[in-house]
Amino acid sequence: MHRKLTSTSLALIATLVVGATAAIAGTVLSRSDPGVTSSSILLGGTAPLTGLASAYAPVSRGADAYFEYVNARGGVNGRKIEYKVLDDAYNPAETVPLTRQLVEQDKVFAVFNSLGTSGNLAVRPYLNQMKVPQLFVASGATTWGRDYAQYPYTIGFQPSYQAEGWVYGKYLARTAPGATIAVLFQNDDYGKDLLGGLKRGLQRSKAKVIAAQPYDPTAPDISSQIAKLKSSGADTLAIFATPAFALQAYSFANKLGWKPKRVINNNVASGSATMAKAAADGQNKLVNGTISIAFLKDPNDPQWKNDPAMKLYRKILTRYEPGANADDSLYVYGMAVAWTTVDALRRAGKNLSRASLLKVLDTFTSAGNPFLLPGIAVKTSGRDHFPIEQMVLQRWQGGAWRSFGGLWGYRAF
Amino acid sequence: MSRTTLRTLIVFVVVGIVVFALPAFVTDFRAQQFSYVGIYLVALIGLDILTGYTGQISLGHGAFMAIGGYTTAILMTDHGVKDIATIPIAIVVTGVAGYLFGLPAARLSGLYLALATFAIAVATPSVIKRFEGFTGGGSGVNLFGTPELTASLTPVRFAGLELNFNNWLYYLAWSVAMVGYVIGWLILRGRTGRAFRAVRDSETAAVSSGVSLARTKALAFGISAAYAGAAGALFAIATTYVNPDTFPVALSIFLLVGVVVAGLGSLTGLIVGAVFIQFMPLWAQNVSKSPGAPAVVYGAILILVVLALPGGAAGLFVRLQQLTRRGRNFQKP
Repeated sequence: MHRKLTSTSLALIATLVVGATAAIAGTVLSRSDPGVTSSSILLGGTAPLTGLASAYAPVSRGADAYFEYVNARGGVNGRKIEYKVLDDAYNPAETVPLTRQLVEQDKVFAVFNSLGTSGNLAVRPYLNQMKVPQLFVASGATTWGRDYAQYPYTIGFQPSYQAEGWVYGKYLARTAPGATIAVLFQNDDYGKDLLGGLKRGLQRSKAKVIAAQPYDPTAPDISSQIAKLKSSGADTLAIFATPAFALQAYSFANKLGWKPKRVINNNVASGSATMAKAAADGQNKLVNGTISIAFLKDPNDPQWKNDPAMKLYRKILTRYEPGANADDSLYVYGMAVAWTTVDALRRAGKNLSRASLLKVLDTFTSAGNPFLLPGIAVKTSGRDHFPIEQMVLQRWQGGAWRSFGGLWGYRAF
Repeated sequence: MSRTTLRTLIVFVVVGIVVFALPAFVTDFRAQQFSYVGIYLVALIGLDILTGYTGQISLGHGAFMAIGGYTTAILMTDHGVKDIATIPIAIVVTGVAGYLFGLPAARLSGLYLALATFAIAVATPSVIKRFEGFTGGGSGVNLFGTPELTASLTPVRFAGLELNFNNWLYYLAWSVAMVGYVIGWLILRGRTGRAFRAVRDSETAAVSSGVSLARTKALAFGISAAYAGAAGALFAIATTYVNPDTFPVALSIFLLVGVVVAGLGSLTGLIVGAVFIQFMPLWAQNVSKSPGAPAVVYGAILILVVLALPGGAAGLFVRLQQLTRRGRNFQKP
């Protein structure tokens, strides 16, 4: 008994001492906001660097590479940007303590480009309470822009899923007035926002949604949903799913011999790699002619082969992120959001503070982001806090995306 | 009062003083990390009672934590119950759920039981999403800023001390952990604990000494789940948010890893296991940020620990003690 107790106390005390000595106080900063010195700006964010969603890791790596490139050329207003990324493995229970670490221990100036809807939802009240900017959330949920009044420190970046759905709706209303649409959607905010947007875009037109089947993200397969959608007799299939399920949707629809006139595949699942896989060496005829939206330059698109920005993109990746697959357009996303951040920080001026940055973002018009498609502006004003609301429609033909038509602009208000 | 009881008391008072003094010496943020250590400790005590002492493997304790966490979150947001008051309710709800699960599960043994518990861990997120009106579905339930959440907006005054949110969490988690530790120790040293160990060591021998297998196993499941429920409730309060992804399958596995690192069948090393769960992933991230590296570092260390310390942390302490005793004996003429 004696032995056991002594070892118990030994264990307890040893671990506590180890833990206590491991404590390091955060850097001390005077007067100005945390994370800003005369020579540096500290940004921090969470990203799924490991785990099931680690395919999204390039979003933070692309941004980091661009910051390093900017730093090598003198930084922003003489300050170098440091971007600390912590791995939350796409688990909001990790996002919360890691974000607190960024704010309370690392003393970041702003939380930036954290990825994932639920993780960002989990920390939004906290960051707004602490008055820390939640900058350019990497998620298309509509709530970032819609609930701006309640959470003024939070701002998104990419087109909202609702805006994307709306564009599909408007497009169908215009080009296929009698379309009957069957929708496969993920049973969460992401899928529902897309579906809601689609219905909004279809308002006052004859085209309509005649069947909608939800699926659970943890479901093993979606064959029964596709079978039900087929039996609805719809002539248009809209896929509002993540890449793995979009692949299944193409495959099952093809196996069932369903030949809808049109297929729409949302932006998240329409990467060139996914589409090429879905096409299955041309065996799946459904894939050809699929319609989707784009707002970033696609590194696989031959029209940008000699584009200076895309050349720079490849150069930056080779230099600062060796080993990265430059054909993955998520790196372009990362650089695009980093470019806009640099632009905003520059405009916030020499006396950078959280308040001055927020003021800039409040009425922000940032055109000429070279990683976005030409003509797309990052813009906020008044009640409209959706930074990107313009996009282009594209069609999958001959193994590549080809954009068509002009810019589609969505107004949330 | 016997000598051993007195010694136990002294050890607990010393540990208590160390634990309660710690926040004064560390940053707020560290205190918050240590409160997670306390939370994991609660879950590990429960898992050790089931797996270490009763010999029933559970790969589904994350699911019991989810039940506790959601009980707390729903009571706080929909019924206006203060956060602390939800903890006992979460314990009861999860304990009953664990007992009921234990009744049929007691018929399964070894790998089959592991699979059955794993199945609950896998199914839980989907079940939570299915009952969206009740659980908030995928969007989850946010607790931050609700009046039911103590100290999140304004510091709380307690016994003359002003505690901010992080320190408050720390004291809350560790108070529950210390009480849980004592209760666990009391359960295990008595008749129930002997029955648990008998079931673990030989079911045949246990039955022939009059131990009811089904009842004992179900009881172990119930007690173990009650601990997991307390941990889940604390987890929800500390994270200020629950959604199906906050209780992933990986959580169940990490808990089992923690209890193995600590040393199965001993309460001694559990704090080490809790520290391992909380700090090892963070530390592995600091080693290298190249893709996949943290996971490899984590895995390599885990393998090393299991190879070098088959008895976990508890085994290490026993071995160290044997060494020092031998050293002392050598010095004797």
